Amino acid sequence: MMIALLMSPGIIAQRVSIENVLKPFKTDFGAIKEGTDVKGYYFFWASDKIDKNTYEWTLRITDVALKTLKEVKLQDSKEVSILESSFNGTDLILLFYNDKERTFEYQVYGADGKKKFNYNRELTKKEERYLEQSYLATDDDEHTYKGLYPVERKGFISNMPSREDKDYTFQVDYFSTEKRKQWTYTPTMGGKKFIGDYLGTFNGVVYIEVLKFASMMDGKPESSIVGLNLETGKQIFEKETDSKYRFYPATMSVMNDDKGYIYGEYFDAGGNIAKDKSLGFAFWGIDDKGKILSEKYLSWDLELGKHLNVSSKGKIDDFGFMFLHSMVQTNDGSIYAIGEGYKKTASALGIISQVASGGRGRVSTMKLKVTDMILIRFDKDFNVKDAMIYDKNSNNIELQSGMEFVSTPLLGKLIKYNFGAFDYAYTQTNKDNSSFTVTYADYVRGKDYKGSTFNSISYNNGKITTDKINTRSDASRSYVLPSAQGSVLLLDIYRKDKRFEGHIERLN
Amino acid sequence: MKKSLLFFLFIIPGIYGIAQLKPVYAFQQDDTVLKKKYYEEALQQKKFLLSSLGKEYKDDYKEIYENRFEEVADLLKSSRAVTSPEAHGYLQSLLKRIVAANGELNQLPVRLVFSRDWWPNAYSMGEGTLVVNAGLMIFLDNEAELVFVICHELAHYYLNHSDNAIKKNVERVNSEEFKKEITRLSREEYRVRQQVEDLLKKMTFDTRRHSRENEAEADRQAFRFMKRTGFDCQAIKTCLQRLDKVDDSLLFKPLDLEQVFNSPGYAFRKRWIEKESVLFGEMTEDDSPLTKKERDSLKTHPDCVKRIAWLEDSLAQSGEGKKFMINEELFKGLKKEFVPEMAEQEYRDKDLGRNLYYSLAMLQQQQNIPLAVYTVARDLNIAYESQKDHRLGDWFAAERRGLPPDYNLLLRLLKRLRLEEIATLNYNFCKRYEARMTGYAGFEKEMEKARKKLTD
Repeated sequence: MMIALLMSPGIIAQRVSIENVLKPFKTDFGAIKEGTDVKGYYFFWASDKIDKNTYEWTLRITDVALKTLKEVKLQDSKEVSILESSFNGTDLILLFYNDKERTFEYQVYGADGKKKFNYNRELTKKEERYLEQSYLATDDDEHTYKGLYPVERKGFISNMPSREDKDYTFQVDYFSTEKRKQWTYTPTMGGKKFIGDYLGTFNGVVYIEVLKFASMMDGKPESSIVGLNLETGKQIFEKETDSKYRFYPATMSVMNDDKGYIYGEYFDAGGNIAKDKSLGFAFWGIDDKGKILSEKYLSWDLELGKHLNVSSKGKIDDFGFMFLHSMVQTNDGSIYAIGEGYKKTASALGIISQVASGGRGRVSTMKLKVTDMILIRFDKDFNVKDAMIYDKNSNNIELQSGMEFVSTPLLGKLIKYNFGAFDYAYTQTNKDNSSFTVTYADYVRGKDYKGSTFNSISYNNGKITTDKINTRSDASRSYVLPSAQGSVLLLDIYRKDKRFEGHIERLN
Repeated sequence: MKKSLLFFLFIIPGIYGIAQLKPVYAFQQDDTVLKKKYYEEALQQKKFLLSSLGKEYKDDYKEIYENRFEEVADLLKSSRAVTSPEAHGYLQSLLKRIVAANGELNQLPVRLVFSRDWWPNAYSMGEGTLVVNAGLMIFLDNEAELVFVICHELAHYYLNHSDNAIKKNVERVNSEEFKKEITRLSREEYRVRQQVEDLLKKMTFDTRRHSRENEAEADRQAFRFMKRTGFDCQAIKTCLQRLDKVDDSLLFKPLDLEQVFNSPGYAFRKRWIEKESVLFGEMTEDDSPLTKKERDSLKTHPDCVKRIAWLEDSLAQSGEGKKFMINEELFKGLKKEFVPEMAEQEYRDKDLGRNLYYSLAMLQQQQNIPLAVYTVARDLNIAYESQKDHRLGDWFAAERRGLPPDYNLLLRLLKRLRLEEIATLNYNFCKRYEARMTGYAGFEKEMEKARKKLTD
């Protein structure tokens, strides 16, 4: 035994190691993010059995370098899990879900690390249905649930779709972290099916893209942007997005001119999104009253065709169609659109299935193929300046019979939301927008390495570089989580040993 | 479980492995014959100890003594132990003076060495090896303070604290009561973790309480040893006060990264070190779920303030003594020399963040400039190569609470710099010093490496 004059230093490492995990595959973990910026991680695992129905759970919150900031033990039902977390610059929110009671508990922790508020709510039957058919129906280790968004230093928005039989709707909740205050918004206009996508909060207005379908088969849903007052939840405006074209916004970004822009694909006025091809991409500037400040339409065959070999139907040779994941604007004013290619190809499995079953097979004769990554550079006025394609291995997705007749752009949405089959992971920007990193997964069959890789396309002060790390390990399961910009957390679960190991790696 | 408990109780903080590196900086020439002699002595001593073990709990004792020897062997076989004639000889002169004044220490086989470790500490391995880290030496003000440090470690050894603690704990984990408890726990289905933790906590608290009592006893004994040497015993107080507030800012003014890295060819970007929002940014340092009493019970050492208070009466009656009796000039010289020695050891131990930190601090203080410039260039080249290979974290620690603020800024800078920014920053840094570094071994090579990386 060493007897020292003072104590010795601890070990310094960007690693996490958790042992004695009762159910390694039932552990919840995730990056705590403020926008695209990772600020830390949470790990939630069963650490002891209390009785037949109760576990002791350990919740560990670490900083972005994996140093433990807080660790609490709580006794709760075996059916408890954390669905999601978010950080708004000062406060942390964790969404606990009790599968037995069917309740949501939002726990808010303040900047001092102490619990500030609890918001509880019972799920409606429609919400339960949605959860059952989406998040809970899939293997929960995919960690696909995404419905909590930070509002800088003010609170959090929750966007929760719900479903009952053929009725779809959604609910938006706001949980303040300044004081205990909450509001809820549900669409009141008539319709059979609503899809509500939270676009962002800007200047005290919550922007939501609402699609209203008259019937389940409606191929021409009405699209509008709804603006809600952040403080009260009251509707400020509803702006239809049909003008000279039929425009379906998908995302919103605030650009360097401090204006909010919504963007997505556009179709011919009166076009059918389920069947028709989109004409191109549209970008709208919008203010806090719902007034459209600018409109820009980029068609496949004209503007994009100059830089890529794009057919008039939006198809790029070998690349297929483009799904737009994200947009960022750098400090020199350039705007970058980050997309991924996909296309329909013949499915051998589907053809065999159809032939064998006399046309009653459940697999479509067409399959989807997810292809390469694309980066399109615009100037500040959304004029295309350049486009670059980054090769990667393609993924195949077998479709259900009948889906060969669904339009390709709509299939893009299906790939993202239903199949989760895009390789794109996330995009991160730094504070002054002088750099950003786009990440995506891939698979390599090389001489020296065969296995999955995690890849990056990075922009830094006008220069673009690419990099990749190998992620294959001897663990039972491995995950890649975002970390500080340019870094990732590689997390391995060893089921037999009942442990977790994680470490940070940097991409260039 | 018993074995893991023993390990838990006797764990000695890990010591980094030795990197396969080729440094340009040369340490003070160590006496390798002396190192080998010390190693052989420790080995023979271990062999004797093992051969004299009784049957009772033999395996447990053997495991502990083997581990202890491995730690000593690691120190003596590595570049960490300082045995250069000047530094080592100086330390032996102090030891000789203490032993000469305290006859009871005459028969104790002592191997006293400085180590090049950066953290401010001194320790007794319990088998005669006593170590004073360079990281402690550089903070001491005078010989008398160093004498107190040596007396304190000698007292632990003299009072057999280490072996007593080993015996006590081996007997405890082999006791009927403990074994029964382990058997019971292995059959439990519910609340097992909690019960194991409670058991460990109880044992740890007890061990730590003894440890704190030992520290107080070692301080009292150290005072008795020191009083007879003629050194000023007030140094006990000043030494403990210094240890209470030990911080790199006592040695260096805080690093100004902009000043050291800004160059005409490449302006320093404030965004590299700008503050960002952090999770639980207002959390107080200690957010432990333990109560204050439990936290206090986990301390291995009493607070320095308490240690001073317990000796206050004795110190008041200690009479006058001298601050320097052996070699003031050498003491001060060693303090200066130990900074680059310590920095270089960090490089060999693969803690480049700290190596870079000390080098930049030396540069800012205008000390050892050629060495500091060369080291910064070398470290940034390694940072570039390791980042390219996704291994930056192997060499550089991450920013975290508890580290000096300026060191954290340096770690933040390294984390945020992109590959090409490291290359550009390094090349322009080298350009700034190119004229002054003419002829310095290794510098031109590092600068050339940095230049090539610009077009990588």
